[in-house]
Amino acid sequence: MIGTTPKPFEEISRALENYEKVAVIGCDGCAKVCMTGGSDQVVEMAEKLKEKGKTVLFALSPERTCYVGKTKTALDPHLDKLKSADAVLVLGCGGAVQITRKVIEDYDLTIPVKVGLDSVGHMDTLIMGELAIEQCQECGECILNETGGICPVTKCAKSLLNGPCGGAQDGKCEVDSERYCAWILIYNRMAALGELDKLRRFMAPKDYSKMAKPRRLNIKERRVE
Amino acid sequence: MKLTELFDKGEFVITSEVGPVKGCLRSNEGGKLPQCAQEAEMVRGHIHAINVTDNQSAVMRLGSLAASVRLKERGFEPIYQMTCRDRNRIALQSDLLGACSLGIDNVLCLTGDYTSLGDHKSAKSVFDIDSVQLLKIAKGLNEGRDMMGNALTQSTNLALGAVVNPNFEPLDLQLLKMEKKIEAGAEFFQTQAVYDPAVFERMTKKTDKFGVPIQYGIVIVKSPQMGKFMNENVSGVNVPDWIIKEMGSVSKEDRKKKAVEITIRLIREIKPMAQGIHFMPLGWSDIVPDIVKATV
Repeated sequence: MIGTTPKPFEEISRALENYEKVAVIGCDGCAKVCMTGGSDQVVEMAEKLKEKGKTVLFALSPERTCYVGKTKTALDPHLDKLKSADAVLVLGCGGAVQITRKVIEDYDLTIPVKVGLDSVGHMDTLIMGELAIEQCQECGECILNETGGICPVTKCAKSLLNGPCGGAQDGKCEVDSERYCAWILIYNRMAALGELDKLRRFMAPKDYSKMAKPRRLNIKERRVE
Repeated sequence: MKLTELFDKGEFVITSEVGPVKGCLRSNEGGKLPQCAQEAEMVRGHIHAINVTDNQSAVMRLGSLAASVRLKERGFEPIYQMTCRDRNRIALQSDLLGACSLGIDNVLCLTGDYTSLGDHKSAKSVFDIDSVQLLKIAKGLNEGRDMMGNALTQSTNLALGAVVNPNFEPLDLQLLKMEKKIEAGAEFFQTQAVYDPAVFERMTKKTDKFGVPIQYGIVIVKSPQMGKFMNENVSGVNVPDWIIKEMGSVSKEDRKKKAVEITIRLIREIKPMAQGIHFMPLGWSDIVPDIVKATV
């Protein structure tokens, strides 16, 4: 999922200060899992905005706000109200905000779309409702086959491909003493698998052109363009 | 002069580290030497070469290359330290060409301390390539081609150094990387600070067969507080209690004397296992000559 955290309400208030009638749109996908923009949170946000004197035209959370079709389906019944909106506040990832803007533009409407969350990356949920961690950078060139299923590009702070730096202490990373050194994890995993020799292979510099932004995914042909 | 020439001749190679100033070296401020040059002067004649750090601890300072060139102009042999933290593969290769063009003969290739440990915590970390890849790329430049295989009009001619941390657990993982560095092109090694001869011996028993020279690295512990600070804040270094106690057993005025004594003791024990010493005096370069005189 895409991890999100709420922006401070003061920041949201500032972003909306010149707008009176506001629609709140969340996301029942990732933002719901993060408890930042699901159906409960859009209602809470609507209440807060009303307390601030705003008129909230509607508050809803599409099933997946990053899907154009799902967002449009959720907004279609509210089009009349949307036409009168001074601004739309999206409680979703940066993608959800931009898909919402596109859907609104496709209605031939020009309404400012504001964001109420900060997106913090691709996150994997370890404990539902409590903890998610970052494990994948979507680098376009997966090397998990060579590293025992543990990604050094993401889990090593320095993205080292050929082994650890010298900074680990008691198995923990020099950058964060709460976190295990990714390369020690990889080493232990490869030892358990009886594949330590594979770590001796020189890993060439990554092809970062595969991460050149913004990527386009041709879903039909299953390739990045 | 390349350090490899000294190792090849069987010299016991002594190097000492200086950190460039946080400022520029354009004007000479009434004849007063900047700190890094002052420290270099303190060890003149007692060392073979001087390591010049690259924005050490991720604290922004004068670049290693500029400081290295200035030291070269003053008759020192600089070892230009290059980390992968702040520059991508284009900039690193370009700087290696620049270094050689400006008369640098030695480069030490490192990963680099992480950005958030320094004074520009919000900077974007680069780490486009790692130290093994940097060594391989630098070797390629020595052989006349860039990392994409494009021919250079003139090759570099740099002695390539690397680092290893004998304190690392598991050691075999650190040595696996060391072997990769050797295969990539590392011609000599300097170690992280070691204060336990047994730790150094544990490493050399496994690395002697690698056939590359290793310089014993030592950070001079200047006070008991510094020893404790290093244990708590500098990952990959262990200052033993006996050093902290001994440094605490003397008055402030006598600490330099004590540090000399402790360092001599360590070097005497470790010297037979090493092919050189690398001092990291962190401002106490003035005591390096006495230590060298007593041990080499």
